[in-house]
Amino acid sequence: MAKAKIERTQKLFLKALKGKFKEDPQSTTVVYAREGLKQSPRKREFLEAGKKMEMARGISMYDPVRCHLGGIPLGQRQLMTYEVSSTGVFVEGDDLHFVNNAAMQQMWDDIRRTIIVNMDLAHQTLQKRLGKEVTPETINEYLHVLNHAMPGAAVVQEHMVETHPGLVDDCYVKVFTGDDEMVDDLEPQFVINIEKLFPAKQAAQLKAAVGKSMWQAIHIPTIVSRTCDGGTTSRWSAMQLGMSFIGAYRMCAGEAAVADLAFAAKHAGVIQMADILPARRARGPNEPGGIKFGHFADMVQADRKYPHDPARASLEVVGAGTMLFDQIWLGSYMSGGVGFTQYATAAYTDNILDEFTYYGMDYIKQKYKVDWQNPNEKDKVKPTQDVVNDITTEVCLNGMEQYEQFPTMMEDHFGGSQRAGVLAAACGLSCSIATGNSNAGLNGWYLCMLLHKEGWSRLGFFGYDLQDQCGSANSLAIRPDEGAVGELRGPNYPNYAMNVGHQGEYAAIVGGAHYGRGDAWSLNPLIKITFADPSLKFDFAEPRREFAKGAIREFMPAGERSLIIPAR
Amino acid sequence: MAYKPQYGPGSTVVAENRRKYMAPSHKLEKVRDISDEEIVLLMGHRAPGAAYPTSHPPLSEQQEPDCPIRKLVTPTDGAKHGDRIRYIQFADSMFFAPAQPYLRSYLESYRYRGVDPGTLSGRQIVECRERDLEKYAKELVSTELFDPARTGIRGATVHGHSLRLSEDGMMFDMLQRCILDKKGNVVKYVKNQIGEPLDKEVKVGKPMDDKWLKAHTTIYHSLGGVAFRDDAEYIEWVQRIHSLRTKYGFMPVE
Repeated sequence: MAKAKIERTQKLFLKALKGKFKEDPQSTTVVYAREGLKQSPRKREFLEAGKKMEMARGISMYDPVRCHLGGIPLGQRQLMTYEVSSTGVFVEGDDLHFVNNAAMQQMWDDIRRTIIVNMDLAHQTLQKRLGKEVTPETINEYLHVLNHAMPGAAVVQEHMVETHPGLVDDCYVKVFTGDDEMVDDLEPQFVINIEKLFPAKQAAQLKAAVGKSMWQAIHIPTIVSRTCDGGTTSRWSAMQLGMSFIGAYRMCAGEAAVADLAFAAKHAGVIQMADILPARRARGPNEPGGIKFGHFADMVQADRKYPHDPARASLEVVGAGTMLFDQIWLGSYMSGGVGFTQYATAAYTDNILDEFTYYGMDYIKQKYKVDWQNPNEKDKVKPTQDVVNDITTEVCLNGMEQYEQFPTMMEDHFGGSQRAGVLAAACGLSCSIATGNSNAGLNGWYLCMLLHKEGWSRLGFFGYDLQDQCGSANSLAIRPDEGAVGELRGPNYPNYAMNVGHQGEYAAIVGGAHYGRGDAWSLNPLIKITFADPSLKFDFAEPRREFAKGAIREFMPAGERSLIIPAR
Repeated sequence: MAYKPQYGPGSTVVAENRRKYMAPSHKLEKVRDISDEEIVLLMGHRAPGAAYPTSHPPLSEQQEPDCPIRKLVTPTDGAKHGDRIRYIQFADSMFFAPAQPYLRSYLESYRYRGVDPGTLSGRQIVECRERDLEKYAKELVSTELFDPARTGIRGATVHGHSLRLSEDGMMFDMLQRCILDKKGNVVKYVKNQIGEPLDKEVKVGKPMDDKWLKAHTTIYHSLGGVAFRDDAEYIEWVQRIHSLRTKYGFMPVE
């Protein structure tokens, strides 16, 4: 075998492989013990719970010994554990299904229940049309009223029903602005402080982008967005915003200016987290299929926490994105079933993608002198076809060789779709971080797919035949779909809309281009700031750590219902 | 100028094998004897000797529309008789199985008529009229395209192509459709491709040795085989295709 172009002795996946398999990671044979379900503590738990539930409800359910392949249960090979990448936490595969993982649910809840609403329009209405005074004091009072009202409490009505504070404690509103003086005058409890939360360079960029305008980062109750849908978020929030303005500024409930406030809150000043989808997909705003990749890269905050490690920042987007787009969006909203989980988890477990990506970082540093640990726009490589081809070919071949040299890793990623996504993600990230150009990253992805397919004469499931063999033509091309660059594409981009194992990685490739440049945001500074809020239930700076916590049942989500149901 | 297929690039034995298997001019080397009855048993679609179920009357007995395409295309035997569509599906170990999924689809498209191949990572299916299928399947199993230990005939629960081999060199099969009879060093199928037990076991011959496998495989593999990196011509060709597609969309002309 020819030697790789650079030497990298560290293998980030080795610890996981040694933890998962008792044999040497480079062994090519194994004794298949066929121990069945009993080898897995989680499956044993399921068996016990299934029996208990069956007795309680009088209807049969979990019965894998009888129902799986007519009597041959899962576990004829080793039922592997997984290390959630970069966390050191080993979990059962089942614990990474979103139904079994409260952190995963909360990540999506926290996005779906978020809306950003401009305050300047409302302030102009109050000041110019109604002649009312707007000062830091009135804004503080308004925010106090709003944080009473947003969870579902009355402000101007009599004889109103209200929601139980214990059920909606995750609901609140904070504001942010680039105006330091205003920030100093507002109560800290109501402010997302850009200066304190972001590294200095990013904070300066963000404050300049926001300027003196003021925005409300609103999170409606998890229980509301779960009972209704993402389209509810702007409606729930707009109603409470309107009522709070009326209450705080002593307005007439029926005066025409209220319509201006409502219009601003519902339409003119609203930033949805996701766009409405076409009728054939039948989803309103704030549902996963409408999230632009650039916006998703802004929601994840790892670049804020790890500004000197764009690879790590991108890998966190991969984890968060594959969970949301593969496991929840394609896997459940669009398809149903449970199988999509294993496409996604391959990209954020066992440090395999991490290793391939850091190999790419070493390569771009050595060959192109990209100082990736000091992200800046100055040392980016020109995104030519030759550069993309070179970086991708090396990173792809290295990854394939690692799979070949470590058969346990091949066994870990037992499906071609898993390997295809992971290899192509490493190539895409390496290209986008090296060039600062998301389209170059996407182009690297597609060359990797072609190389992979030719090398092993296989790729992923049927879907890969379509998406990945025509992607060369819609990335870095003369007319990549009429100019829709990666940042503005999303899960509903025509070529991306049907295929598991891609969308989270695409979001990361988009983010990587900006993290590699040291940009403070990828597409929208307002979204970047909103998700920096430490009061959110889910920590968007550490999605993989949060998933690990969810898997070992240490993550406390919102959406409490025990206050209103019988005690168990 | 008559079209002359080139089949593919590459300067290694892997590339050469790919070209050979695809080219109908290459006579596939027969390695084992499998009877017609045994093929029928392995696939499990009908009982040996049973009549072929049909999805329409024989073409000679039904009114054919006046269609220029039908005049151009000679129907296969199965189509003539109105046979139903059935399949055979293979799982190919990445440890040097002779055929690999895309190669299978390509070679079937070149060699056989009236086929609908489907390609995934862990399995490859080919569907066609039943009596045509039996003829094609016999070739796919009895020639150098098949190794008893590293190639699996698996309709469902195909898991195994990327797994480590079991201690006896067999590719993992959850359903254990075939087992290695150590005494005779012969692999025998005890279940058909979807895992139904067979009344009569079907012997598919002895596992080929490592030397033979590496000389016949169509997968690049750096662990003891040919590393993809070492086939510079192949890699340059893939880069070129990608570059041209990128530059010119779907019209890669220079």
